[in-house]
Amino acid sequence: MIDLRNVERSYRAGGTETWVLRRISLTIQPWEFVTIMGPSGAGKSSLLNVLAMLDDQWKGEFDFDGVAVHRLNRKQRADLARQKIGMVFQSYHLLDDMTVAENIDLPLSYKDIPRSERQAMVADTLDRFQIVAKKDLYPHQLSGGQQQLVGIARAMIHKPALLLADEPTGNLHSKQAQEIMEMFRQLNQEGTTIVQVTHSETNAAYGTRIIELRDGWVHSDTAGTAQPPLQEVRS
Amino acid sequence: MNRLVQDIKFALRQLRKSPGFTITAIVTLALGIGANAAIFTLVHAVLLKNLPVSDPKLLVRVGDTDDCCVEGGVPDQRDYSIFAFELYQHLRENTPEFESLAAMQAGVGYAGVTARSNKPGDLPRAERGEVVTGNYFQVLGLQPYAGRLILPSDDVQGAPMGVVMSYQAWQRDYASDPSVVGSTFVLNTYPVTILGITPPSFYGDRMTSAPPDFYIPMVMEPNFGPGNPTSLLHRRDANWLYLLGKIKPGTDLKQLEAKMSASLRNYLATLPLYQRQDRQADLAGAHVVLTPGGAGIENMQQEYGVGLKMLITVSALVLLIACANIANLMLVRGMARRAETSIRMALGAQRARLIRQMLTESVVLSCLGGLAGLLVAYAGTKVLLAMAFPHAQSLPIEATPSLVVLGFAFALSLLTGLIFGVAPAWVTSHSQPADALRGSNRTTSDRSGWLQRSLVILQAALSLILLVGAGLMAKSLSKLENQDFGVVTQNRVVVHFSPESAGYKQEQLQGLYDKIINDLHALPGVDKAALSLYTPLEGNNWGEGVYIQGRPEPGAQAKNGASWLRVGPEYFDIVGHRVLRGRGITAQDTATSLPVVVVNEAFVKKFFSNGENPLGAHFGISGMESVGDWEIVGVVSDIKYNDLRRPTRAMYFRPLLQVAHTKSQTDTRSLYAGAIMLTTKGQVGNLESQVRRTLANINPNLTVVDYNTFEAQVRGQFDQERMIARLTLMFSLLALMLAAVGLYGVTAYSVARRTPEIGVRMALGAGRGNVVAMVMREAMLQAIIGLAIGIPAAWLCVRLVQSQLYNVGGHDAMVMTGSVLVLTIAALLAGLIPAQRAASTDPVKALRTE
Repeated sequence: MIDLRNVERSYRAGGTETWVLRRISLTIQPWEFVTIMGPSGAGKSSLLNVLAMLDDQWKGEFDFDGVAVHRLNRKQRADLARQKIGMVFQSYHLLDDMTVAENIDLPLSYKDIPRSERQAMVADTLDRFQIVAKKDLYPHQLSGGQQQLVGIARAMIHKPALLLADEPTGNLHSKQAQEIMEMFRQLNQEGTTIVQVTHSETNAAYGTRIIELRDGWVHSDTAGTAQPPLQEVRS
Repeated sequence: MNRLVQDIKFALRQLRKSPGFTITAIVTLALGIGANAAIFTLVHAVLLKNLPVSDPKLLVRVGDTDDCCVEGGVPDQRDYSIFAFELYQHLRENTPEFESLAAMQAGVGYAGVTARSNKPGDLPRAERGEVVTGNYFQVLGLQPYAGRLILPSDDVQGAPMGVVMSYQAWQRDYASDPSVVGSTFVLNTYPVTILGITPPSFYGDRMTSAPPDFYIPMVMEPNFGPGNPTSLLHRRDANWLYLLGKIKPGTDLKQLEAKMSASLRNYLATLPLYQRQDRQADLAGAHVVLTPGGAGIENMQQEYGVGLKMLITVSALVLLIACANIANLMLVRGMARRAETSIRMALGAQRARLIRQMLTESVVLSCLGGLAGLLVAYAGTKVLLAMAFPHAQSLPIEATPSLVVLGFAFALSLLTGLIFGVAPAWVTSHSQPADALRGSNRTTSDRSGWLQRSLVILQAALSLILLVGAGLMAKSLSKLENQDFGVVTQNRVVVHFSPESAGYKQEQLQGLYDKIINDLHALPGVDKAALSLYTPLEGNNWGEGVYIQGRPEPGAQAKNGASWLRVGPEYFDIVGHRVLRGRGITAQDTATSLPVVVVNEAFVKKFFSNGENPLGAHFGISGMESVGDWEIVGVVSDIKYNDLRRPTRAMYFRPLLQVAHTKSQTDTRSLYAGAIMLTTKGQVGNLESQVRRTLANINPNLTVVDYNTFEAQVRGQFDQERMIARLTLMFSLLALMLAAVGLYGVTAYSVARRTPEIGVRMALGAGRGNVVAMVMREAMLQAIIGLAIGIPAAWLCVRLVQSQLYNVGGHDAMVMTGSVLVLTIAALLAGLIPAQRAASTDPVKALRTE
């Protein structure tokens, strides 16, 4: 599903170029539940942004479902991401002046889907995630776990092939985190490829594969495809 | 006090820290306060300022209209504001309530005085003289700058001829030469003594762009007055004086008004006009209205009052829009400083203290804006004065801000500071300290949002009102200027002069006129030359009731008035009157030939409406006994001479020197031509000096009172309309700009605040188009609500300017549509920039700011 070849990303600040991703090459198959781990600054979120096609400043090659992302322009990448990818954020990113139902509907509102169809999809999603009773509430009226549940529902409403989650339980206590991870597992078992970034070993255990990043390099990969880091002097 | 100084210091430090904000706010305020201060300078000078006299509160004017300059018959509404000399004497003697009641000449027009000092080599100058009674300066309570002022003893038969010179004329024309006082001048060929100089601040008894240069005792009116060289002094049927008196303290004005009205009727009853049976209702209704006289004769106030009040309203609206802008800026700043406010609150600061600190900052800012505004006001006033009075010689209005204007600007700055400061201060001081300290910016709504949007909506609505007003004014001006006056102005010149001031006797006029025309014809490039009593669109008008032979006598209420003037042979060709029937005035129409007149089309329509042939008909103006005085020999096309907003008046034209058979003694004043009109073959270099020299060669006392192109004279008719239209347009564009900046600011702020949200939306699939549409929807919603409020408001407000419009309906769909379109485009542009910026949001960065 995902094939990265020598993907690199750096930021230029002042006269210094700081590398956050170095020659990342990895393949993720459909149905995988991948966990990206690593210390702060290792490049986890940067890699996730590349996969989410939110970032287009990287170098290298990236194939997604047979499409060469590196050859697409910004609009084409956005269209592809809109169709195939769902995102879950650590701080939920629900829009506070929208109800639960409206938040869930948001990704659909950016597609050419008739209103009635959208309403049906929202109703199905609310039902699937068992939050029908909350549909008219606003985010601030929900607990953190409930908000993240809505965030996942929002990410899943358009049935993406790939679900990306950046520290999805980072703001939740353990009980809530467990519920969310159970949800991920279920989604994965239903056919959604999941890539999550986390610090938690417990959460990582829900996945099928762990990729560890260090200083922008793939340090280890339980799928065994990781390349050892080269010795290099960084400027 | 210490705390206030501390607050001011802190405010200055805060302003220094944000130079961008401070400069934007100061420039906006300077424009708003400056525009208001400039208009106020004019309003104060024209509408509010009292005469610089000792006790203006005790001055009372007898009359309330701007009637001018010599009038007969029954005044409009039977309301007397202009009086005959004998009537003045009658009123003065019967009203001991006045400590002193003075009279002064109403019309100080083109025909002034010709003055020559006793200095060797000095040439005669055309100056303006005003005939006043001997108690004039006593009533005003003035002290001379030099010498002495006119005394009652100067205003008696046999007194030595002495006049007072104005300080401005003394400075301007005689280099403040002290030897002028006591010296002998030649005025209108008569030797007179210069008694003294008026105080520098005195500009006459009324605000005018050309104040008098000489004050002349009433007894000298036969030589210097408006009836010169005959006299109005003892004519009972000619009203030509304004009255201004100093009442005794404690006088009941209502009682005095009733008493004077009764006294007026007693006098009028002795006049033949009011002895007619059909004039008894007019006699019974004749009255005077007493008005405050502290500001003198308020003719200019009446002329400019409505326009100035409109301009001050417009400039106040602009300031209000500016205030809304600054309030928005302050709100944004307040939001940005929430953490600081919260820390202060956490440390124990009371809300009142915080509000005071923020208000101090607002007021300091507005005072800085006010200071910069004074510079704008100074420049603005200069521009305004040049626009309002383009030909003024000694306009008594200074562009330099006076103490009153300074006070106004300061008060306005304080008020502005409070207006734009109070809401942001309140909102900011009511933020939740805990939230702010946590740095919580997750929420996509905040309490200042609705206020900011309301301010933008208010700005949009006010801007639309101003745009509609400006559109109507511009359209009205265009219709006024582009209407067909009937005149031809290209290569035409108008020269005003005064043969009576040069001392010519009636019997000398034929020779003088022939000489002038011959000599001017001889100038290279001059094609045609003609003399006339006055010219089109110079503001002059002579009119009388017409009595037509073979018709019944018109009743008291009959509308039988017509305007008239005397013209020379080539006059019709020069100004553009086409001879439609019969003939024009020719050189054969001399003082001794058959008395004839040529009438205009409006005259034929008014008096020969049943298709009778006007040619050969006879009429006169001195009652039924005069019906055979003149024969109509021609009809010419219409030209507007006076009120441009009304249809052309019925007019007739007489030869220069024919005197009416009936009451010929009252017909001689008009024998003195007041203007020369020339047509040139293209541009002629130095024509003005050639004309001046030609006249001076005939007689050095034939001075040019005014020289102008005909085109400029016609254009001058629209000075006030042009000024109001231009200023309204300028203010409305300024308002539009401020409103657009306001909308831009609020939208940009909203985009900045919603960056994380936009990032989330983009991460969830929103495209650039979706983001642009979202931002534009919000911006346009404010503009549309502004329009929804502004359209009906403008609809209502145009009623207030309806009286100022010419041939334009208050509810002009084109102007309204145009204004809505302009505002919509401005809003689109203002919204598009932040919308584009929003669409360029990098979702990765946006999400990171969360």
